[in-house]
Amino acid sequence: MVKIPKRHEVCRKFKEQGGKVAAVLPIHYPRALLRAFDILPVEVWGPPQVDVSYGGAHLQPYVCSIVHNALSFLKTGGLDETDLIIVPHTCDSLQGFGSILLDFVKPRQPVFPVYLPRGKRQEDVEFLVNEFKSLYRGLEKITGKSPKTDEILKRIEIEEKADAKLKELYEIRGEFSFESGKAKSRSSKGDALSTYDFYRVVRAREFLPVEEFIELADEVISEYSFVREGVPVILSGIVPEPMEVLNAIEEAGGFVVADDLACCGRRLYGGGKSSEPLKRMAERIIFGPPDVTRGNLIEERFEHLKYLAEVTGARGIIFYTVKFCEPELFDLPDLKNMLKSAGIPSVQVEIDIGDPLPHQTITRLTAFLEVLA
Amino acid sequence: MIKAIGIDVGSTTAKIVGVNESGEFVWSYIEPADPRVEDQVERFLEKVREMAGSIEGIPIVATGYGRNLVHQATKKVTEITCHARGVFKQLGHGGTLVDIGGQDSKVIVIGPHGEVVDFTMNDKCAAGTGRFLENTAGRLRVKLEEMGNVALSAPEEVKISSTCTVFAESEIISMIAHGVRVEPILKGLHRSLVKRIVAMIRSVGLVPPLMLSGGVVKNPAIRKMIEEETGEKVILPDHPQFMGAYGAALIGLKLGKG
Repeated sequence: MVKIPKRHEVCRKFKEQGGKVAAVLPIHYPRALLRAFDILPVEVWGPPQVDVSYGGAHLQPYVCSIVHNALSFLKTGGLDETDLIIVPHTCDSLQGFGSILLDFVKPRQPVFPVYLPRGKRQEDVEFLVNEFKSLYRGLEKITGKSPKTDEILKRIEIEEKADAKLKELYEIRGEFSFESGKAKSRSSKGDALSTYDFYRVVRAREFLPVEEFIELADEVISEYSFVREGVPVILSGIVPEPMEVLNAIEEAGGFVVADDLACCGRRLYGGGKSSEPLKRMAERIIFGPPDVTRGNLIEERFEHLKYLAEVTGARGIIFYTVKFCEPELFDLPDLKNMLKSAGIPSVQVEIDIGDPLPHQTITRLTAFLEVLA
Repeated sequence: MIKAIGIDVGSTTAKIVGVNESGEFVWSYIEPADPRVEDQVERFLEKVREMAGSIEGIPIVATGYGRNLVHQATKKVTEITCHARGVFKQLGHGGTLVDIGGQDSKVIVIGPHGEVVDFTMNDKCAAGTGRFLENTAGRLRVKLEEMGNVALSAPEEVKISSTCTVFAESEIISMIAHGVRVEPILKGLHRSLVKRIVAMIRSVGLVPPLMLSGGVVKNPAIRKMIEEETGEKVILPDHPQFMGAYGAALIGLKLGKG
């Protein structure tokens, strides 16, 4: 099993070295900007194992478990080690979460909402640049620092290197290339890296300092063997929790060859172009892989999934959705139909991230893999 | 002569089917589901031994929610694949198969060669499953096997607004307290279940003909109402409750033939 430190250990170590820690809610935010202020972003995707009754007092039952769990986690002291909270406007529920924090719960940490535009026009880039400027001013106030252009650009370069490393991990594991579709040579030394471990590594990007993530990725590439085995499928959705679902897919004969998960594949941002740092960060996010929460059209998502299936040889798509995740669920009927017309079968399974993996979900996944096999 | 065995460990009943070399349904047995699955499976296999002698070398395929507890199985396959295989062999064509079981219900689109093209399941809520009827039958003191005919005997029906089995039960109690007769309540209950099933059919897209399997199809009101709601005539295989086990046995037969 790949050795990865736990989130709270990472937070503690970073703070001991004089930095601050930001709790960041899903999905898109300017990592490099935070690091330029010596703030480590540590993402909060739930987390899964919390007593949800604390958040439930503030939220309607039809709000997703990511928001329920995050609020419960905060109220039970889970975010005590953090110095600030960043809430991107990913969906109505997360925007509501930001408002609840600012107006009602009022945590001791400052809360920074970040509004994301729903489009890819020049105005959208400008809007996001202004959001980052506003965040910059807020971070200046709480840290007393004012990082210069070259300092932020240096941080951006490291983040871009980490994202390129992340892409390389996917390409080696799936024996494909995102750009050309051609297979890459694969490593055959060391223990085989399980799907579960692969995603532990990918998801370490959610909390490890970028330098440590690059080291981890290099270590995994050089010390583990990557074996593509089983029925290739693409996993789409928000977050693979409970992570046992990855074992269930593997045990049922499936191989997650690529993903369109909000916490993973939808953040394989390309390299930026602008030499102006805030603009470069905005462009990277806005022109990243299609994501419903950034307002990408169903057609764009369809083309992206179709392309992924072509280059990876995936035989089907598993839509692994969080219950009550409106943006995802709005897209699915049309997206599934478009895929069906293109000869790409798909299945949808819905989960609550706080629950153990239900037997019924395993049956559904197994049946789908039987169909594909 | 039994050449392959299929065992379907469902939530309400456990079934076993034996097939001959041609894949014909030659023997079956059913019992209410026993929580001690391993014991029940051993009992089942003992019955096969009593009837057919040794089962040494005969492939056994397990399906149903308890399939992983059938340690004697040569292979374990999901209910979706097994039901499709069984129904296709019996009816000889594809279409849309609705299987209403005790714990879940499934809609499976079967292709022209018997392959599963698409499927959906209602597996999180008792509404839309046999359990929904079983619960309310107890509350209304109507025998489960008589429910369908009692419902069909009602000239009118009441609308059950709750989509949850537990809340539907509360709603029924309230109706009884207001003097509503049992028959229209039962008719409304059946309608409620059928509407859930039809919503699932629409979600995958109905490919005619429409076929039914599972224990609940013994209920005539369910069959009639599905026809009313979809406008399609429904077709039943000979042994609707055994289609999972039968399909499993057919998969076993193929395994045996290498």
